[in-house]
Amino acid sequence: MSTSGRTDHRALAEAVRQRVLEGEAKTAPALRASAWAAAIGDGAADSAPDALARLVGQASYRVTDAQVATIVAETGSEKAAFEIVATAAAAAGLSRWQKALEVLEAADASR
Amino acid sequence: MRLGEIDCGDTLRSRLLIGMISMVSGMRLPDAARVAFYHKDFLSGSLGRWTQATMRGPSAWSISERELTAAMVAQWNSCPFCVGAHGAIAAKQMPRRLVDEAIADYRTADLPAGLVATLEFLEKLTLRPDELTANDARQVFDAGVSAEGLSDAAAVAAIFNIITRYANALDFAIPTTDEFDRAADMLLKRGYGS
Repeated sequence: MSTSGRTDHRALAEAVRQRVLEGEAKTAPALRASAWAAAIGDGAADSAPDALARLVGQASYRVTDAQVATIVAETGSEKAAFEIVATAAAAAGLSRWQKALEVLEAADASR
Repeated sequence: MRLGEIDCGDTLRSRLLIGMISMVSGMRLPDAARVAFYHKDFLSGSLGRWTQATMRGPSAWSISERELTAAMVAQWNSCPFCVGAHGAIAAKQMPRRLVDEAIADYRTADLPAGLVATLEFLEKLTLRPDELTANDARQVFDAGVSAEGLSDAAAVAAIFNIITRYANALDFAIPTTDEFDRAADMLLKRGYGS
């Protein structure tokens, strides 16, 4: 996707956000919304899926086999567990994209 | 790999693809490709389109600079799979020595000033996003990078802040140096569309 020969990052990023948060999936939208919030540091993250999402957002290299196995057991499928991990990862990446846009717009406006 | 369905493939088509590509290439298909085949209508379609456009489409940055940026984000997020994979692709079009020096310390590596300033911005975006301000962007502009160039680089960083996290959380298997090198040839030729 490009605008006048340039990549339209905003539209492509929004497509990722919409698919992960609002699209058809194995997990309920509320579960994904909660994982998204947990990954970016919002809320208590006191359920197992939210605790995993928070760890994915803050220090993904510390995730363990046991934590992922717990989410598979709790959600009932590997696809659902994958959705929690992918949602948390998307939240962390897209929140940084949003931050970069805000900073760029502020810097551009003051030039 | 912590999810067996990703390892084996979740459909007959993906199982056949994983087997065929592994056989033809003579190496285990890397986990990044297995994830791209998995639960395809959830994340890999939309993320694959953004990744392909950002890493191979029009940009202020060369492909090797974009790949090096991906490797740097992986280094900051402690993701050895993505450091190896994207460092290997960068090294196809810039000296391996320079890639290794950048990963060790990009500030002292022999990189263009604009790229170093951009990496300083992206390091803060990755590790301390709440501290990032317009002044950080202005410093990148002062180094000769355009707003479009910084936006293109921020998109690379955002995408690899996603990919490195699921690579770590799912515990991607780490290929050998030779396998990374061969996979890099494949990614340069085929791109990121799954």
